[in-house]
Amino acid sequence: MTPFLLGLIGLALALPVPALLARARWTLRSPGAAIVLWQSLALAAILAMSGAGLATALWLVSGDHPSEWKVALHAAVLGFGVLVWARFWWSAWHSWRDTLAGRDRHRRLVDLLGEPHGLAPAVRILAEETPVAYCIPKRGDNRLVVSRGTIETLGDSSLDAVLEHERAHVRARHDLVLEGFTFLHRAFPRVLRTDAPLRQSQVMVELLADDAARRRTGDAALARAIVALAGSSTPAGALGAGSEAAVRLERIRRRDPRGDRLAALACYLISAVVLVVPTVLLAIPWMLHAWSELT
Amino acid sequence: MPNLGELERSVMNVLWDAADPLSVREVQDALGDRDLAYTTVMTVLDRLGGKDMVDRERDGRAFRYVARMTRDAATSEVLHAALDASGDRTSALLHFARTVDPSEAAALRAVLAEIEAADDSA
Repeated sequence: MTPFLLGLIGLALALPVPALLARARWTLRSPGAAIVLWQSLALAAILAMSGAGLATALWLVSGDHPSEWKVALHAAVLGFGVLVWARFWWSAWHSWRDTLAGRDRHRRLVDLLGEPHGLAPAVRILAEETPVAYCIPKRGDNRLVVSRGTIETLGDSSLDAVLEHERAHVRARHDLVLEGFTFLHRAFPRVLRTDAPLRQSQVMVELLADDAARRRTGDAALARAIVALAGSSTPAGALGAGSEAAVRLERIRRRDPRGDRLAALACYLISAVVLVVPTVLLAIPWMLHAWSELT
Repeated sequence: MPNLGELERSVMNVLWDAADPLSVREVQDALGDRDLAYTTVMTVLDRLGGKDMVDRERDGRAFRYVARMTRDAATSEVLHAALDASGDRTSALLHFARTVDPSEAAALRAVLAEIEAADDSA
């Protein structure tokens, strides 16, 4: 029974729960807590599925004299589990190395093409009319890249807001948060895969960086920067999923600290529930039971 | 004395502006900085070579240096990565904002007007 229930919980946490949660608007009120929630869901799904595999393997050999085919199946299930884990870490390592190599090359090019900014050492200005603004994260050696077009489009305070937003990304290592969800997305088998955690956390880190920028430059400067850069005309190939800008502006417009705190509380509560309940209700009794059978 | 990054940028610009591969001496002359030692220029060229930005070719007993890619190619590679809207590079670069279509831009401006009004009254 335990393997079956754990598997069911794992499946639920992998597909329907993220789909439901991705549609909820209230999680946008507390981006930091929402990221914790998405991470907890992912961890809980992995734990439940691994637990289901492990429990199945052990159940197969739980009798006094398990038949040979049961022992073989036991080994196969365990082997499959090890394989899945190995594949995950292997692909995580590779994709991380690729990301670092790509960033290094990009940073080198930006250093050669971009002009340093007098006041902020990490800033590089590209001589381009197309407005761009982004950061290249690296501990101790990051770059904040903007173009001439960005500087001409934005006023001083809005440019400050943009730079502070990017600095917040770098400081809080938002790239690691996104990288983690990218690994997960690749690691899950296609049928169990949803892009909700990755998409949602992309929005959440923007909201967090926005909060940092607002604290420094105020609401209006940041809002003007978002509208100016999201509404700028760029080559058609650069059109992206833009609904993010609307979500970000909406968060600036609606000031409701009490509601935000409630949303954060709800996120943390659900995180605790998905992590603790399956463990307490299923895994621990099952482990005790297995222990008593062994001794 | 400019810092090393600054020097690399100047040297790269010299190579980008040159029609042909340049010797160390020619790079040094083009930089037009009398205080800059020959060995310093050579070091910078070697560093750029280590970064895959410069190729060197043998010319008699010395080397001549050439930019591995043109300035335009380098610029377009950077812009391409910077403007890439696909989700694949999301964690490599963190963008400030993606562009939206005109109707959505109008909606954004309406919300902005509200935010600015609230800011003024506060």
